[in-house]
Amino acid sequence: MNNTSQTIRVGLFFLLGLALAWITFEALNGGRIFKQQGYALLAGFGNLKGLKAGDEIRMAGVKIGSVQLTRLASHRVEAVLTIESGTKIPNDAVATVEQSSLLGSNYLAVTFGTPAGPLLKDGDEIRTKSTTDLNEVIAQLGNLGSKLEQFIGNMDKTMGGGESGNLFQRLDKLVTDNGPKLTETIGNLQDITGKIKNGEGTLGRLINDPKMHDELLASVSQIKGAAADARAFMADSKAIVADIKSGKGSIGALLYDDATANNLKISVQNIRDVTTKINSGQGTLGKLLAEDTLYRDAQGLMKKANRALDGLSDQGPITAVGVVANALF
Amino acid sequence: MKQCLAIIGHLGSALLLLGRSLRFTGTLLRQFPRFVEQCYLIGYTSLPIVTILLFFIGSVLALQSGYSMENFGAKQFIGTLVGLSTVRELGPVMVAILIAGRVGSAITAELASMKVYQEIDALITMNIPPERMLVLPRLAAIIVMMPVLTLIGILCGWFGGALTCQYTHSISIDSEVYFTALKQFMKNRDVADGLIKAEIFGFVIVLICCHLGLSTRGGPREIGASVTRAVVTSLIFILVLDFFVTKGLLLVP
Repeated sequence: MNNTSQTIRVGLFFLLGLALAWITFEALNGGRIFKQQGYALLAGFGNLKGLKAGDEIRMAGVKIGSVQLTRLASHRVEAVLTIESGTKIPNDAVATVEQSSLLGSNYLAVTFGTPAGPLLKDGDEIRTKSTTDLNEVIAQLGNLGSKLEQFIGNMDKTMGGGESGNLFQRLDKLVTDNGPKLTETIGNLQDITGKIKNGEGTLGRLINDPKMHDELLASVSQIKGAAADARAFMADSKAIVADIKSGKGSIGALLYDDATANNLKISVQNIRDVTTKINSGQGTLGKLLAEDTLYRDAQGLMKKANRALDGLSDQGPITAVGVVANALF
Repeated sequence: MKQCLAIIGHLGSALLLLGRSLRFTGTLLRQFPRFVEQCYLIGYTSLPIVTILLFFIGSVLALQSGYSMENFGAKQFIGTLVGLSTVRELGPVMVAILIAGRVGSAITAELASMKVYQEIDALITMNIPPERMLVLPRLAAIIVMMPVLTLIGILCGWFGGALTCQYTHSISIDSEVYFTALKQFMKNRDVADGLIKAEIFGFVIVLICCHLGLSTRGGPREIGASVTRAVVTSLIFILVLDFFVTKGLLLVP
């Protein structure tokens, strides 16, 4: 082994070591040795929940890129995403931070979006949605637990201890105090149900007698028929009302025809004139009603006629004979 | 009691050897060819065995952790486990054990035979301190070569794990997932800790082996005894120091 080649090998070896060390440290720092092919998107979040550079971006569970870097912007956090070229993301796709395991590693999930929609280009911002993380869920569960505990405590107070709300004791007292009454009531109930079972009484017969059932059915059908009639009647009425509304028929004309109404008004006027005249004793009828001379004359006439008739009836037969005689002679 | 004293005596003379060697640090540039030769022997020739060993250690680690972590559904964290355990523990320790067996034994054998055949005495007679010519280049070489070897070994371990994860049917973790998980919980600090550990191990191994080689007395049989003792002592020191160095590095924030 000659000395020069030995030196060269050692030198190369050392340089290799230095290069590897540099690459390793650079890679662990998140710097990329090989530039990833693809395009960059921007995603703004209110809370990144531990998403960090190098985490995966998945669309429907398939890796489509990785988070390049995360940075704080004004009042939000921005993640710069590197999406593999060839992956098309519509501009209505939504990105959310998801947990890939309970141990705390995250990934960015991207929805499909509308397939036909316009695509996101390099440098565009993708829409995002915040998700509830496990901590919030657990906090809410804790709230629920405390509320439940409170509720159970209240229940406990109502059921058992406490001076005012002693539900069970009061119930117990109620039952013991009204024991005989309750027994009686239950006995009565038993009686009634027994009767019903045996077919006694109206209810019993209703339940046990098939004839009753038939009759009931018949009445129901009659009621149904009546209802149908009523419905027909209602339909007729509706038709009539419709006719009236449209001005057909007398009532319709009365309601909706102005000429008829005027005629009617004139008639009413005339009637009123006539009646006023009658009242004031004008004309024959008025005199007939208002003046009793005619009545008295009539009475006198009637009396006279009565008398004359009486006279006639007295001479009845004679007259008859006389008439006959007159005829003969 | 006698043995305890012997151990303390060895410790003391090893430290004295170190002190005497460091006094000649300034002469290192003048004996650069010797330093390069030692680098070649210690570093370059150890490379194949280091890569093979660490590659398979990484693979086996991935296989075993895949088998055990499958039970609680943490397979995607195999990368983290393999990466961290390789970089923090197995890489430095395994490389150190290899160096102890391959390089340490050679150093002890060489120096012990030089001592037994009175070459060391000849050097001293010629006013050439053996520390300057024999110990210092080796120490310098191991300081330069140990991190390089360890880093290559660690990377081989990572790739071995990745390959195993990808092509073992029962695990079938994509190598991208593997390396994502590996990077997720790995800091530069972890790599630096591993390299510091390897550095300390290598330095201690070479110091022990040089000391035991130079302190050999007697005939050829003692050469073999010295080599055995050097390797055993090195291994013990590696594993004991491992604990304390790890603890010390964890204490440093």
